Amino acid sequence: MSTFEPVLTSNITKENSHTLDFYQSIGGYSAIKKVLSMSPLEVIDVVKASNLRGRGGAGFPTGLKWSFVPKDSEKPIYLINNADESEPGTFKDRLLMNKAPHQMLEGMIIASYAIGCHTSFIYIRGEFYREYMLLEKVVAEAYENNLLGDNILGSDYSLDVVIHRGAGAYICGEETGLIESLEGKRGWPRIKPPFPAIEGYLQCPTVVNNVETLSCLPHIITRGADWFQSIGPEKGPGPRLFCVSGRVKNPGVFEEPMGIDLKDLIFEKAGGITNDNKLKAVFPGGSSSAILTAAEAIDVKMDFEELAKKKTMLGSAGVIVMDETVDMVHACLNIARFYAHESCGQCTPCREGTTWLVKMLTRMVKGRGTLKDINMLFEITDNIGGLIDFSKGSYGKTICPFGEAVAWPIRSFVEKFKDEFIKYLPQEKVAA
Amino acid sequence: MPLLKIDSLEIEVEKGTTVLQAAMVNGIEIPYYCYHPALEIVGSCRMCLVEVEGMPKLQVSCNTFVGEAPPERKIDGKYDMVVNTHNDLVIQERKNVLEFLLLNHPLDCPVCDQAGECYLQDYSFKFGNAHSRFDEDKRVRPNEYLGSQIVINHNRCILCSRCIRFTREISGTSELFVEARGNKSKIAALEDKPLDNLLAGNVADICPVGALLSTDYIHKNRIWNLKKQPSVCQDCSVGCNVDVFYQKDKILRLTPRENHDVNGYFMCDIGRYGFHRFEDLDRITTPMARSNGSFNAVSWDEAIRKTADKLGDEGAKIAGIVSPFHTNETNFMLGQIINGPTGTLPQMNDEEIIYQSGFRISNDRSPNRRGMSDVCPALLEDLVSEIENQDVRMIYVLDDGIDREIDDVWKKILAKMDFVVVQTYAMTTLAQSANIILPGPAPYEREGTITNDGGRVQWLRPSLPMKGESRADWEILMMVMKALDKDAQDFTDIGQVMKDMGEKFPAYDGLSFFRLGPHGMSLNGRANG
Repeated sequence: MSTFEPVLTSNITKENSHTLDFYQSIGGYSAIKKVLSMSPLEVIDVVKASNLRGRGGAGFPTGLKWSFVPKDSEKPIYLINNADESEPGTFKDRLLMNKAPHQMLEGMIIASYAIGCHTSFIYIRGEFYREYMLLEKVVAEAYENNLLGDNILGSDYSLDVVIHRGAGAYICGEETGLIESLEGKRGWPRIKPPFPAIEGYLQCPTVVNNVETLSCLPHIITRGADWFQSIGPEKGPGPRLFCVSGRVKNPGVFEEPMGIDLKDLIFEKAGGITNDNKLKAVFPGGSSSAILTAAEAIDVKMDFEELAKKKTMLGSAGVIVMDETVDMVHACLNIARFYAHESCGQCTPCREGTTWLVKMLTRMVKGRGTLKDINMLFEITDNIGGLIDFSKGSYGKTICPFGEAVAWPIRSFVEKFKDEFIKYLPQEKVAA
Repeated sequence: MPLLKIDSLEIEVEKGTTVLQAAMVNGIEIPYYCYHPALEIVGSCRMCLVEVEGMPKLQVSCNTFVGEAPPERKIDGKYDMVVNTHNDLVIQERKNVLEFLLLNHPLDCPVCDQAGECYLQDYSFKFGNAHSRFDEDKRVRPNEYLGSQIVINHNRCILCSRCIRFTREISGTSELFVEARGNKSKIAALEDKPLDNLLAGNVADICPVGALLSTDYIHKNRIWNLKKQPSVCQDCSVGCNVDVFYQKDKILRLTPRENHDVNGYFMCDIGRYGFHRFEDLDRITTPMARSNGSFNAVSWDEAIRKTADKLGDEGAKIAGIVSPFHTNETNFMLGQIINGPTGTLPQMNDEEIIYQSGFRISNDRSPNRRGMSDVCPALLEDLVSEIENQDVRMIYVLDDGIDREIDDVWKKILAKMDFVVVQTYAMTTLAQSANIILPGPAPYEREGTITNDGGRVQWLRPSLPMKGESRADWEILMMVMKALDKDAQDFTDIGQVMKDMGEKFPAYDGLSFFRLGPHGMSLNGRANG
């Protein structure tokens, strides 16, 4: 494990790493040359063989997602690069866009070629203005050098890339919410079926991939599926950008192989807990993942399967560390507020339930809670997001996974730190 | 066809049918709010969740399509899909969704216009909890006008988005949208583009709760006090099917009645609020005869006798004015009486409007031009010349109650007449030039058949009692007919008039109210004589 060399971020500390000249000087855009000599199906097969799983949050196998696109579609096919990174505790895509934008763009060209797309979008989070300005330059540079546009590098293949800025809604990172937003509509996730691969943007087959996922592609093409597959666990291999934030001495993005020990991430890579305090809890994969207690956290690998066994998820790999100074009831309320603020308001359970949670938690924080409220927190979260039971999938109850994203973390706070919630109750009520 | 098992019921359904549709057709109730058969499926209310075997999550039945399963995936070796609509899981989930929907609901049923026809009430009663577990403050918002005739009570709104989809997909006007996000979401319209299209009233009908209200009906009555009469709108030649809600002699509201051969699920506001025109009319409720320039009330006997005395003059020619506002039976009867030329009053035309969804408001704002032409085939465009040619001196007018100015053509016609009979319900300018006025029913008091411009004969049913001494139009004409000819056929009810009409006009042969039923009958393919 110590022999791991960063892949996606190997050059980010170099000067002008965002420029085309630099990227080409390290062998950039050689993957598309290779890809253009392959058939689209061959490209899909390589990516399938690499076992690359989506880096946005859901961890869906990328090659499989591509293969759902109809091969004989009479409609245009679209690729959307989901650069709407908004998961709390997640800041890896932003880094990739700032420091290695051509790597991402090359990935987009590879993905577009594989699925037969000729117009691809970058849906970038509205707040990422600097990154947007940079990407405009990067795309222009690519056009000037025949890496985009008609007959890329003299081949038959043509691709246009359009950058679209979001307006800052978290839900527009959900792929169907994103597609609605891209169409100029309100970002309300769509009911499925139909799935985007069949009817997505403008009712045409559409694939939505995350920035980091796309950034992996040039390397898979250049170094081969076997190389990628050899990094980390078999069922979810590859390099991964872990964002460590919260109560650590050295927060940041760390590129490590999938399956790294969470303990190593926190205590070695991120330098350990601030003031050498005691670790209390960790979000392993963004604020939508259920939290792990310190005991659970020091004994888990950052791997899809391992985390699922602990009834949480790798999600966006946004590791948020909480130490002994963190008030878990306040933290829980903070998370609930975020989700209540970002709920799109379409489905009943999420629209109503998130605000109910905030109202109840606010009352508890003010010392006006009752024991009954603690049980109600379980009931409400279960009614919004359903029970976490990976043996049967999950009992999601809303159109999009936002319901689960609220329910799981909040439920985990109450479940794992019930004592702290009870401490907030008026003492006479606890005694009674 | 795929074999679907819903609860204990095994049914074969068309491929692509939704579970919700299949359940509804087969009498299994699955509650829903956001689904509406005329609108795009959004699946957001989460009320119609059911358990589909083999799927890890509950599924919204509105968007779960039944398809053919490959042989190895058939359940119990034969079912393509197995659905449970009322096992414990589903029943609990309905309770949960209803609990969420009622969190901020004011529970103000005693003063809510929707009470009695509210799906929030009905489903809470059938599927909900008896108690609230919500200990927080409710979100309270003031009512707002979305348009001049639609008000929204945000506190009752469950954000099913039916109204929004209606304005996008049916009227194509897109006035409504959701403002803000999450729990702050609310239905809104822009100040400079209010919900004032001619289909706006439908949003109050399709609102499953008491959120959208028509200002025309708000706080007027309770729905359980009203009687509902299925009938047909009389404000244009489309003939939208309606339910007329009335109490005693007053109409409180009209709502569209589903008919896929005519109006689908909707109606326009011209028809919806049209009944008010007849409320404060100067009605004529007794027969009247003019002498020395003024009208005196007379008995029916006297009025009919005076009419027959004149019309029965040896060799006299009588012109008839039939009306596209009157029923087929009335026009037919007048056609039987007159022996001179037939014409109509000037046509009432307006703008033809066709909406994105195909919903149409005809430029012909009379309900029965097609039927009138069918049963009075000898209609003249140029009535006045024929009156001159034949030296006609008497005229019998079926007035449509519209108070027109008398134009030059009509001044000429009237100047020529020695005797004018006007059968009407309102004292129009035309009626004022009559010698005899015979009082008939106003539109919502009439019964008979009317034929829309697509050739569909529909049953116009009366909602209100006739006023004063006025009588049914066909009956008045029968009295005149009998007075003219003792041997004329005696009709004891309108059904007999229809029968006679069918004998003379084969397209209308075999017509009866029973056969017309709630949705009418198309004349297409039937030969007219």
